[in-house]
Amino acid sequence: MAEEIRLAQPKEYYRAFLEKEVRPDDRELGEFRPTVLNIGCVSTAEGSSLVKLGNTTVMCGIKAEVAEPRYGRPTEGYIVPNVELSPLSSPNFRPGPPPEQAQVLSQNMVDFLDTSQCIKLDSLCISSGKLVWVLYIDLVCLDYDGNVMDACTLALMAALKNTSLPVVTVDEDTGDVKTHLSTHSSLSVDSCPVSTTFIVFDNTVLLVDPTREEELLATGAVTVVTEGDNLCSVYKPGGSPLTDEQVEMCVERAFVRGKEATALITDTLCSIDR
Amino acid sequence: MRETPLSNCEKEFILNNIKEHRRLDGRNAYDYRDIRISFGVSLGCCHVEMGKTKVLAQVSCEVGQPKQTRPHDGVLFVNVELSPMASPAFEQGRPSEESVELSRLMERCLKESRCVDLESLCIVSGEKVWHVRVDIHVLNHEGNILDCSSIAAISALAHFKRPDVSVQGEEITIHPLEEKDPVGLSIHHMPLLVSFSFFLQGKYLLVDPSEKEEKVMDGKMVIGMNKHREICTLQVTGQNLLLKDQVLRCSSIAVTKVTKTTELIVQALENDKQARLRGEKHGFAEQISSEKVTSNHWRETQVKVKEEVMSASGGSGAESEDVDSDMEAGSGDSQTDAARLKDVEPNVDIVARGVGAIGEGGASRWLDLPKTTQTSKNKGKLKRSHPEETEVKQEYDEDSEEETQTVLNGVQ
Amino acid sequence: MASFIVLTEEQQRLQREAPPEAVLRCLTSELGCLTRQDGSASLSQGDTTVTAVAYGPAEVRMARERIDRATVEVVYKPKVGLPRPVDRKKENIIRNTLESAIMGSAHPRSAISVIIQETEDLGSNLACCINAACLALLDAAVGLNFMVAAVASAVMEDGKIVTDPEKKVEEKAVAVMTFVFESVDHKLVSVLTYGKFTQEQYKVCRDLCRQTAQSVFAFYRESLEKKLLKTV
Repeated sequence: MAEEIRLAQPKEYYRAFLEKEVRPDDRELGEFRPTVLNIGCVSTAEGSSLVKLGNTTVMCGIKAEVAEPRYGRPTEGYIVPNVELSPLSSPNFRPGPPPEQAQVLSQNMVDFLDTSQCIKLDSLCISSGKLVWVLYIDLVCLDYDGNVMDACTLALMAALKNTSLPVVTVDEDTGDVKTHLSTHSSLSVDSCPVSTTFIVFDNTVLLVDPTREEELLATGAVTVVTEGDNLCSVYKPGGSPLTDEQVEMCVERAFVRGKEATALITDTLCSIDR
Repeated sequence: MRETPLSNCEKEFILNNIKEHRRLDGRNAYDYRDIRISFGVSLGCCHVEMGKTKVLAQVSCEVGQPKQTRPHDGVLFVNVELSPMASPAFEQGRPSEESVELSRLMERCLKESRCVDLESLCIVSGEKVWHVRVDIHVLNHEGNILDCSSIAAISALAHFKRPDVSVQGEEITIHPLEEKDPVGLSIHHMPLLVSFSFFLQGKYLLVDPSEKEEKVMDGKMVIGMNKHREICTLQVTGQNLLLKDQVLRCSSIAVTKVTKTTELIVQALENDKQARLRGEKHGFAEQISSEKVTSNHWRETQVKVKEEVMSASGGSGAESEDVDSDMEAGSGDSQTDAARLKDVEPNVDIVARGVGAIGEGGASRWLDLPKTTQTSKNKGKLKRSHPEETEVKQEYDEDSEEETQTVLNGVQ
Repeated sequence: MASFIVLTEEQQRLQREAPPEAVLRCLTSELGCLTRQDGSASLSQGDTTVTAVAYGPAEVRMARERIDRATVEVVYKPKVGLPRPVDRKKENIIRNTLESAIMGSAHPRSAISVIIQETEDLGSNLACCINAACLALLDAAVGLNFMVAAVASAVMEDGKIVTDPEKKVEEKAVAVMTFVFESVDHKLVSVLTYGKFTQEQYKVCRDLCRQTAQSVFAFYRESLEKKLLKTV
């Protein structure tokens, strides 16, 4: 019976649960789904990670290439993130050009890296004006069950921290480029920003880490990116208007999640080094 | 969105008027509508109004590689945008036949007439040249987009200035606008397009057709010409055959039109230059007259910041007072909880080498996580009403040392 | 009331250090500036100029039809080149913002489309786009739940906060935040931020922008009154 109601009247179904301050999947309103992080799962990539947020799965692979720097910025490398929402992850996505959601997500990743300054573009320089690193970051959603944004940012950060680049030297006189494949240096990642996404249900109730079902019923969303004790971004693209208190609550919750996620990344990285 | 087609009686009405040498807006057959040319604050930004037809053109440039066949020449690119902005008949995305024709004509007018000196756009031969791009956006389609676009494009090109470049050996420096005065493009001549529409098998001829007249016309002839009476392009479309006389008559009309319009452009460019030199306000905002009922203008406003806002924001924490009791209790609690939670070390399960996990609950079909032996589940309790509060607090105290609490008060 | 007020040095210092009032650059609007659309508006905030048009409610493409409310379509057209991912994100934010403002349930199975053309970007572009779009919707007489007003603010390196920043200020700023408020309870509809900032700075910016947004609403009202009452 319950399943029928869930299908026919999803809003009513959710309201009944939320009145009791619990979600249909046995979570509290402010509770994240279990987060599993696997670092270094793709051996052919320079850096990789797999994040599982409940059923949502995102894999991140980082490929590095050398290229000429952009004109006027001789010491800056580039970072090119791309989010792919493949048809394999959900029946809602069709093969072909990326849907708008994927384009916006990719742009969100660019802004995420840009504002948090976790990688200094100067650190990707090999030889000023001649050679720089280009990092192609591919984020592929394998299973879409809501909150891909948070899964993507977590996978992105974990993969970046796992990235090591071969040492490349340029001979000043001859201009020869030499790659030392045996020696690797890891990428310097200065900070660890974490994003936390909330949705608004029925214009009033805030839920953290929404599933796909919850996202479909949502009347708005808020994403807060924290980095240590600072905010990197408060992003609310329209939706139901919220009071200042509600947004501040989101921010407070995001700080807690930020700490958890940072610990998850560092501890998991430690387990590899052991 | 589909456009409302013109009804038969409307068509007949317009045609009958043309037969009697009258036009809907009271113009004579060879009259242009009023042309207004204005420039924006940024260089190479031009807005042209022809009656109610409005077109915006912007010229931009970037450094790029030359074409392999022409290593010493810069590149000029022309793009005409017909979007639903201008008229509901235009569709977003795919270019219609009309827009392809328009782009092609503009390209012929600007590129193939060689009005812009492309050789002067070369920085290092075969390696680096300027790519100049003209974007033409049609804002309002009330007929004769073509003439309007060509005026906008050539005015924008004449208005535009690119940053100065100096080459020393292999080193190329592009000087920002603040550092060195920018350089204008060298424009050899100003080709303009003039359209003529023909009615009733070429018997009647109108200059600058309005949107309704364009829908009724049999055919169209476009002449591209500069003020030196040189024809750059000529195109006849539609289902009518023209006599030699008609073509000659059109070209002599075009001469007068082009001369007048060129004067107008030169005048507008001069006015803008003078305004800039005098340091006066220029740009689009200044062009809107506040004498109209449809426009409104406010000088810079100082917003009085309320006392309590500043004091509240100056103080620490969000202790807003005007919240209902429910929220107050909630936000107060979440503050303290969050503060407490910040001190709690998150507990990360290392499941395998390189695999870590936090949190539990919720569906995950991916892998069986070893259940933690702790009895108290890692869950944020949500408190709302006062009686529960003490109980909840106790629970927090119990497991505050063990695991992360995730608390969010979301119910209002 | 004391007839003489003598300011102590402390008070004078406080007055000097008092945060400057929020400033909104000069606003110029023209409603119905174009003729082929249901509603159009061009808005200048300082030198930043945007033209927005609105159509609707009109027929909707089958694939986008929604049975319970109107489909809101937004197209953002940059002045130079084709739309980039940044513009897609902007478009997405504007669409979501307008979707919550438009009374969509009044026009099920129809489309309300807004097209925004950037005319001149010299700072606070997103805010100007949203404000122009709101004016265009008002001009088209599309039913709204509430009006929206967007105000941008920039946090400078020395901690100073500038509202409605110009492009040059934006480029130097540590953080730029754009807030969108609604006209009924002045709640927050949208927010987009760039750069790092503290919670304190966020709150100050938000409150300043909220105050400034009131002026934008007053400007909307005056512009419409002028047009509808036909008084210059």
